[in-house]
Amino acid sequence: MLTVCPYFHVHQPYRIKKYKVFDIGNDSEYFNDDSETDLNNRRIVEKVANKSYRPTNKILKELLDNHPDFRFNLSFSGTVLDQFEAYTPDVLESFQELVATGRVEILADTYHHSLAFFYSLPEFKRQVQKHERRIKQLFEVKPRVFRNTELSYRNDLAKWCEDNGYVGIMAEGWEKYLGWRSPNYLYRPAGCKKIKVLLKNYKLSDDIAFRFGNKEWNDWPLNAETYADWIHSHHGDGETVNLFMDYESFGEHQWEDTGIFDFLRAMPEMVLRHPETSFKTATETIESYEATGEYDVPDVLTWADTDRDLTAWTGNDIQRDAIGAIYQMETEVMKTKNKNLIETWRKLQTSDHFYYMCTKWSNDGDVHSYFSPYQSPYDAYIAFMNALSDLQLRVSKEGTERDKKDAQKRVAKAVSKEKEPKKHSATVVLPESLGAISPIQPVKKKRWWQKVVDKIRSLEVPLIGK
Amino acid sequence: MLPKIQEAHGDAKFIFAGNERIVKIRHADITPLPYQNASSTIDVIVGYDKAGKAIIKSRTIIEEVHRFAHQASIIAMEEEFDVIHAHDWTSYLAGVAAKIASGKPLILHVHATSFDQAAGNNVDPAIYKIEKECFALADKVVAVSQFTKNIVVQKHFVPETKVEVVHNGCNIEEPKRLEPTLSELKRQGKKIVLYHGRITIQKGVDYFIRAAKRVVDVDPNVIFVVSGSGDMITQIIEMVGSMGLSKNVLFAGALWYEERDRMYQSVDLVVMPSVSEPFGLVPLEALQHGTPSIITKQSGVAEVLTHVLKVDFWDVDEMANQILSSLRYPVVRQQMVNEGKQQMQGMSWRQAATKMLAVYRNLVQYVTQ
Repeated sequence: MLTVCPYFHVHQPYRIKKYKVFDIGNDSEYFNDDSETDLNNRRIVEKVANKSYRPTNKILKELLDNHPDFRFNLSFSGTVLDQFEAYTPDVLESFQELVATGRVEILADTYHHSLAFFYSLPEFKRQVQKHERRIKQLFEVKPRVFRNTELSYRNDLAKWCEDNGYVGIMAEGWEKYLGWRSPNYLYRPAGCKKIKVLLKNYKLSDDIAFRFGNKEWNDWPLNAETYADWIHSHHGDGETVNLFMDYESFGEHQWEDTGIFDFLRAMPEMVLRHPETSFKTATETIESYEATGEYDVPDVLTWADTDRDLTAWTGNDIQRDAIGAIYQMETEVMKTKNKNLIETWRKLQTSDHFYYMCTKWSNDGDVHSYFSPYQSPYDAYIAFMNALSDLQLRVSKEGTERDKKDAQKRVAKAVSKEKEPKKHSATVVLPESLGAISPIQPVKKKRWWQKVVDKIRSLEVPLIGK
Repeated sequence: MLPKIQEAHGDAKFIFAGNERIVKIRHADITPLPYQNASSTIDVIVGYDKAGKAIIKSRTIIEEVHRFAHQASIIAMEEEFDVIHAHDWTSYLAGVAAKIASGKPLILHVHATSFDQAAGNNVDPAIYKIEKECFALADKVVAVSQFTKNIVVQKHFVPETKVEVVHNGCNIEEPKRLEPTLSELKRQGKKIVLYHGRITIQKGVDYFIRAAKRVVDVDPNVIFVVSGSGDMITQIIEMVGSMGLSKNVLFAGALWYEERDRMYQSVDLVVMPSVSEPFGLVPLEALQHGTPSIITKQSGVAEVLTHVLKVDFWDVDEMANQILSSLRYPVVRQQMVNEGKQQMQGMSWRQAATKMLAVYRNLVQYVTQ
């Protein structure tokens, strides 16, 4: 038996508009670009909905209807769900329909598509919990398998997942850690006892996600039959073929004219043609197979470019500066207990912001070789840092206001205790040290009948005795 | 940009298409600067009277260019050579004259066009005429950037296939560190932003001053240094006065060599606000001295240098934003220098020369003896 475990990752960040120095202190909206550029979040979501989400979901629904054995997994960032809700609610509904079939599993994730695990464990936990609540609310399911932002993975993350009740976790199947072994089996993360790790078969995954439309590629044009043959060739040397990719590969990274939709439409049938081949969700895969060995990843592993590490997000000075600055604010931001500030802070943690600052590929002068809505990594950094500066300002303002209020409360309490006998007295003598702070005056609440009496009195008409 | 002084006397060895040749260099009394209007005049010593006093004649630059062309045709008939390579409009006619006299292939090298000088379409018609007619007669036109190639193709109607882009190079040796200047200002904690270049409409100094105003309104601790001279200097000084920027804008005059290098090394940021810049060596020179730059997208160097901030020359607000932001976040300046210096390693003059040699080879192979 050989099963295929497809997993599509759905994500859109809140891109920061061209936020200038002059905006600091004057404009607290960082994500509301309304230009005709790729910084306009609504515009992007609507565009990708047309190019990818709507047509792909339609095909996926057909496939689920036509093939009872077809199954797959989805993961959503909270930021994309929020944007669907706001901009394209029909897309959200179509995802809900897919999940309602019971054959589409949703994976656990961080809400804000962040790298929080590597910077702040408490914040990471909060984001995972927030994500879980959101998934429950929208899809009425509880994720059991975890995947972290950009498929980033390390032994301690697997341990954390095990300790928090997840049955599985996803990771890149990378030779550096696999050695001669195949990614087509389940493994046990080093230091864990129960949890299993599903490894991405990056060759077969990237054939679809990256190479599909590339006319220079030897195997172009790829049809579903050939692809199914490649999968079937793993009979005998594997149990599960894990195809992990961005959902947006369908229609957005690979445009419709590459034939990607026809490929998707035909692929499950071709795979199922072989009698001993089927599809499984992540949890089913984990429940069906045993771990065959240990997967030991002491350093961060991701699914990004040839380095498979975090250097696309934290490889240069501006990236490290920016990501360092955001997590440095944690204590101050959390102290405010202001939902809006905390949410904004989290939106700034989305890994895409740091990806836009990457300079790894810019030395050959080709800045367009990677996807970024900014003209240069430096523009991305400046917009981010300016927005962050404004947030810092708001947080510290909130902090001083809170301190002020606390002081006022304390004073009011102290005063009311001191002046107990002279209740509701109009003048209050403050301790000199608190002279600058005026306490809230206790206002005597009028009873309803008193109001009526006052009203009558105010008429100044001698009603009686006329 | 031509070097300030071109010195070549006597015989020099050159290698043309693999063959080493000795070339006699005839010294010209005057090098007409291409960055002038065709009608502007220059004083030339045409001879000496009996008392040994110089006889000075005033000629327009266009007359001088024609005289130069005449001389070139005479030289071309006497000398042995394989290719003619002429730079900028003041020598285009000479190049064409040499080609007609010798039948040898002609390369016209475009470092700037009349459109750059005019910073728009209001070009000097006499210069444009020379450019257009000479490009038509040339065998190859070499532009210092894609930006310039586009101008030559769109405005001078040169077929695209005839134009090669050879980006300028830069000095990649590590320069020596000099005693810093403006140390008093730095001691006071001021941040210093430099403009270095000619003060002409092409260079966009007026946009720089307007951005300065926007910056100073937010942060009065920023000082702007304008180094250079040119026909727009009075206008710029008046502009600074009327905007109330006298305390924040300093005029340093034209700085050369060590003085210039010292300035590059002492400031925090360099801005090249050009309206139309065929290449633009300033950000590369600055980088070599360890200072990052903001450059306009209307420049050729923007095609090859990624570790700079880029802005449209008219977008004063964004220019000011970039100045303030890069002063505010030192990490970004540090990174632009570190990575920019690495990128510069791939931009040596040697590489430019190698490309040029390939253009020569390509032309020479078709020459029938």
